Amino acid sequence: MADKEATVYVVDVGESMADCHNGRDESDLDFGMRYVWDKISTTVAAGRKTWTAGVVGLNTDETNNAQDRQGLDGYDNISVLQEIGPMTMNSLRELRSAIQPSRSHAGDVISAIVVALSMIEVFTKKLKYNRRIILVTNAESPIDDESADDIARRLNDSNIELVVIGVDFDDAEYGFKEEDKSSVKRKNERILRTMVDQCDNGVFGTMAQAVAELAVPRIKPVRPFKAFDGPLTLGDPSKYESALSIHVERYFKTKRAAPPSASTVVINTDRGGATQSETLDEDTEMGGAEFSGVKHMRAYRVNDDDAPGGKRDVDFEDLAKGYQYGRTVVPFSESDFSVTKLETKKSFTILGFVPFSSYNPSINLGETGIIVAQKHNEEAELALSALIHALHELESYAVARYVQKDNVQPQILLLKPNPAIADEFECLYDVPLPFAEDVRSYQFPPLDKVPTVTGSVLKEHRLLPSDDLKEAMGDFVDAMDLSSFGVDDEGNPAEYAPIDETYNPTIHRINQAIRARAVDPESPIGPPAEILLRFSKPPETLIKKAMPDIEALIDAAEIKKVPAKARGRRGRKEPVKPLSGLDIDSLLGESKRTAISADNAIPGFKQTLATAEDDATVETAAKQMGAIVRTLIQDSFADLFYGRAAENLRVMREELISLEVPALYNTFLTGLKKSILSGELNGDRREMWFKHIIGGRLDLITQEESEVSEVTADAAAT
Amino acid sequence: MAWGGDGDGDRRPEADEEDELDETDYKTQKDAVLFAIDVSSSMLQPPPSTGQKKADKDSAVAAALKCAYQFMQQRIIAQPKDMMGILLFGTDKSKFRDETAGRTGAGYPHCYLFTDLDIPAAEDVKSLKALVEEGEDADEVLVPAEEPASMANVLFCANQVFTTNAANFGSRRLFIITDNDNPHAKDKSAKSSAAVRAKDLYDLGVVIELFPISRGKAFDVSQFYDDIIYRDPAAEAGSSDEVRTSKAGDGLSLLNSLVSNINSKQTPKRAYFSNLPCELAPGLTISVKGYMPLHRQTPARTCYVWLGGEEAQLAQSETIKVDSATRTVDKSEIKKAYKFGGEYIYFKPEEAASLKNLGPKGLRIIGFKPRPMLPMWASVKKSIFIFPSEEHYVGSTRVFSALWQKLLKDDKVGLAWFVARDNANPVMVAIIPSRNPDEDAGETPYLPAGLWLYPLPFADDVRDVGLPATPRPADELTDKMREIVQNLQLPKAMYNPLKYPNPSLQWHYAILQAMALDEDVPASLDDATQPKFKQIDKRVGGYLADWKELLAAKAKGLMTSRAVKRDAEDEDGDRPLAKRAKPAAPNKPAAGGQMSNAQLKLAAEQDTLKKMTVAGLKDVLTSKGLSTTGKKADLLDKLEQWIEENV
Repeated sequence: MADKEATVYVVDVGESMADCHNGRDESDLDFGMRYVWDKISTTVAAGRKTWTAGVVGLNTDETNNAQDRQGLDGYDNISVLQEIGPMTMNSLRELRSAIQPSRSHAGDVISAIVVALSMIEVFTKKLKYNRRIILVTNAESPIDDESADDIARRLNDSNIELVVIGVDFDDAEYGFKEEDKSSVKRKNERILRTMVDQCDNGVFGTMAQAVAELAVPRIKPVRPFKAFDGPLTLGDPSKYESALSIHVERYFKTKRAAPPSASTVVINTDRGGATQSETLDEDTEMGGAEFSGVKHMRAYRVNDDDAPGGKRDVDFEDLAKGYQYGRTVVPFSESDFSVTKLETKKSFTILGFVPFSSYNPSINLGETGIIVAQKHNEEAELALSALIHALHELESYAVARYVQKDNVQPQILLLKPNPAIADEFECLYDVPLPFAEDVRSYQFPPLDKVPTVTGSVLKEHRLLPSDDLKEAMGDFVDAMDLSSFGVDDEGNPAEYAPIDETYNPTIHRINQAIRARAVDPESPIGPPAEILLRFSKPPETLIKKAMPDIEALIDAAEIKKVPAKARGRRGRKEPVKPLSGLDIDSLLGESKRTAISADNAIPGFKQTLATAEDDATVETAAKQMGAIVRTLIQDSFADLFYGRAAENLRVMREELISLEVPALYNTFLTGLKKSILSGELNGDRREMWFKHIIGGRLDLITQEESEVSEVTADAAAT
Repeated sequence: MAWGGDGDGDRRPEADEEDELDETDYKTQKDAVLFAIDVSSSMLQPPPSTGQKKADKDSAVAAALKCAYQFMQQRIIAQPKDMMGILLFGTDKSKFRDETAGRTGAGYPHCYLFTDLDIPAAEDVKSLKALVEEGEDADEVLVPAEEPASMANVLFCANQVFTTNAANFGSRRLFIITDNDNPHAKDKSAKSSAAVRAKDLYDLGVVIELFPISRGKAFDVSQFYDDIIYRDPAAEAGSSDEVRTSKAGDGLSLLNSLVSNINSKQTPKRAYFSNLPCELAPGLTISVKGYMPLHRQTPARTCYVWLGGEEAQLAQSETIKVDSATRTVDKSEIKKAYKFGGEYIYFKPEEAASLKNLGPKGLRIIGFKPRPMLPMWASVKKSIFIFPSEEHYVGSTRVFSALWQKLLKDDKVGLAWFVARDNANPVMVAIIPSRNPDEDAGETPYLPAGLWLYPLPFADDVRDVGLPATPRPADELTDKMREIVQNLQLPKAMYNPLKYPNPSLQWHYAILQAMALDEDVPASLDDATQPKFKQIDKRVGGYLADWKELLAAKAKGLMTSRAVKRDAEDEDGDRPLAKRAKPAAPNKPAAGGQMSNAQLKLAAEQDTLKKMTVAGLKDVLTSKGLSTTGKKADLLDKLEQWIEENV
């Protein structure tokens, strides 16, 4: 949220923090810093000036704090490592070098809290802030708890939350207990716990839990956005007295969160002498000046028969805006421009009602809104409530035309009643529905019968499930039911994989990797957190339980995988015949086509190959096609015949792969490349090569595509 | 229109959409349709007069041309990158292309290329419109030849049109409209050469769609056309490639019948993905194809036009990437990095790839739930239709069908993990069945039967709106509202999108067409999405009036009771603040966000608003959905203006 934040981290860097405990192979400090780095890097990621943080080191070798400077006692070995301020990558880097285990253990936790507290008081003055102190320690150094009560009171007065996260602190709730705890630590834990309890706003926890929870993605909270505030009408209030008008507000209920998008950047070239590729390979430091963003500049060109290449540049100033109607461009003057926009007035009006049973959610076209009555408007509250309940009782939805504001495109929304049975507040939910233009009529054969050519209908067929299969499917679906497979907070059966437990894996995977890299640029990226892939497969226990049904279904289904080889078009195929089954090849034999004509190149080529009896015929056909392609390129006015040449090449490539003679294509293409690049084919034909051949993936046939090819993927890339 | 450039919905242009809808095939996913219309004397024959007013008046040729005209207009709106052309055959005159291609009309006697295959231009629309609507046939095109055209010639002519104009289109279709089921009844060799030319078309990748017209005698495809037509290699297993004959009768004119037959082939069926493995359970995988029968259509974007030449010309834009010193940047220099804390965080390409890879492409079912368990608000984007394919797993269709039947029978949905292609972002989907369109209980008669991948929101996509609880409903009001709802059902008790054209889109293209054809700009639009106000008044006006009266009374009651309660609370000094567990900041007066409109108005009148803190002002503004940017004075202005307008 937009609230301002001031957080001070108090990190114990004492010598005991350098040790590893409880079977961990990382030091207490590294373990605890996992939590702190995650928190701080989240703040950096937000990039907000109003989210500020500071860091205080406890048990540092030096002493550097305001209290000590004022000559107060008991503030030794406490250092302000970073004053409160916005977090940047720079501060992150500085902190990384500052936070190292020390050789001291004489610092006092309570004093460090006081240092943090006064930092916050000074920084935030009396302004509105979320204030917080987060203490990370293993509590192995002695604490002077004399003034703990006073400090807790001061925290409360200043409205500061105190969060204490201890390494290996006992936590019965989480289920952690350190067996060989030192007596100092036991005492210290008690002191800290008592202090947190005295705070109005306090959290006391063990580090293991905090670190475990880091894997649970945090969802960026978004302030509710009001999309509409105005009347929902039934009838036209401006014309009919009877018309109904309810003052409502509409907010977004769902809105797709987007994964962070990568920016296009280049490596800065003006840095002392280093060439670009070298800096890339040794890309170890995250120096601030290393990359810079790329800008886009647009150039405009028009066709001009007289210009070289058939195109010439035009100035942006000479261009008007317009629309395309088919291939005709229709220019619009600035004043005419708005004419094509339908004039609409902000409105929200009901067209009519439909029963639940006539709606399938698969026609939803987008995100959901939520509609409630205007606040503090009794009439609207009662009216909307009555509409919601009437719809619910009649199992009906309303269909409405929605114009968010003046001159915005109308939408058709389906309004669904939510009468506060599952949730605590009643409302209408809305989803956008399609218009006529949004529906494409695709025909598919029926799934439960097979029509025959003669017009009769088959109910038994290899494409239709047998009764056994239907039964097995039924048992399988029932066995894999998730409606009570999950467990709720109290341990009762609940829905498995409800929406609030499914996190967008892409967003959190990328964010987590970015934060990790920002904190530690050297370390490789780890695997995705397990929680992100939790719903990528069915729960194992359920699969185990349903195994007999799964096996029965597999038996009844009799699925046969088509081997990869058979799928391809290798070897001779059945001749293709029209519906009547007429043998066209024999007719072709009669008409004796000897040479492939440029007019009918593709059919001619395919038919020659289909009836070819020896390799020589194939080779001749390939040569003829090659000649046709060359002629097309040579004769092409600008790029006129390029598409046709490319299509001929595509067919040639495909057919020669399936006949397992890729060398014929590769040899031809190598020659063609030379001709094109040397300008032999009547001018500059490089566009043909780069856009159509390389861009159209018509380059050399590699071993990956055809085993008998002599061209490796690497060789083709050069 | 190619998949690549699609936006999704008009709510937000989606940056990641491009990413998701990558070109699955390197061949351009564009469609070219050539109408081949038989111009014979029987096709030109007007229908026998029945004396009825609404009787069919169109000859078969006129109906075919009207269809083509409609098709052309729809194509400009919905598929602006797709081509179409019109070839008339059996005409007395012959015309191929005037230009250089070397061939003249002589090459294809009795073939008249009325509109060459291309993206339609305004001129094409205009001349077709003149022929169709005004019957202007100055060139005497619609005159049948003495002898019929050779079908081999017609097919080869079409072959040439496709070869030159739509060389690398992913979909090329020849629509033959004729009433002659046996053009070469007496000439066996003409029949054979037609079959050979048809095979050429097949090898070229052109699909022939036959639209037979019948007046009386049934059209017998086995006479000739079974030698011409091939099974579409892309068709689903089990499909019968039904050829539907158009005819007048049953209250349907020939035109309507033809329009509906042609419309069903308007869009070429393009798969969004093919042969996606669908894992029902460990060890049981079938393959499915995906389609997008639903897709939000938006007006084409604006373009830049160069007016310096004789006629307006489209200016093609080219993007050049430059660095901070406006030096042109080579493609090989470009890196992708993430902004973080004011700097760039860089991943090596192989690292970036591994970040995106969260599992191979596929659809994996993780279990099933009753359909009502889908929260009614759980909607984020359009669904994808899936249908089985036998190509990789034989038996996919029957397993798919069994699953579809089971889900329908028990009103269940599947829950699945879905990755549309390698490196696509995974989503959770509900698998929802749709009924046969011709079934009575069908919810979606305009959509095919099968399964839909319905994208579910992630927790990240759900907004917490946090609204206060609402009062107990008034039963009488609800009862009376029921009568209103019951009396205002939409036709056939369903929302059928086909009845509701998008008004913005219709208007946009109506204006554009008028400007392009130099016609008068229409004054208004017949907007089917406007409610029928008169009907509403007539049907429920009485109920509504009663209801409003009752509402006024109830609202007054509620207002009074609330006021009493508020006063009581005021006396206790127990303002709503205490109800919230929020810690009160020591120096903060009443939390602004909770001031009622009346309190605000009072404050405005007494000029005490300015005593509020900036934070308090922001709270109020936020609660009213207003922006909270600016200095205190700006905030005060905004709030005062709001109070003036709304309270």
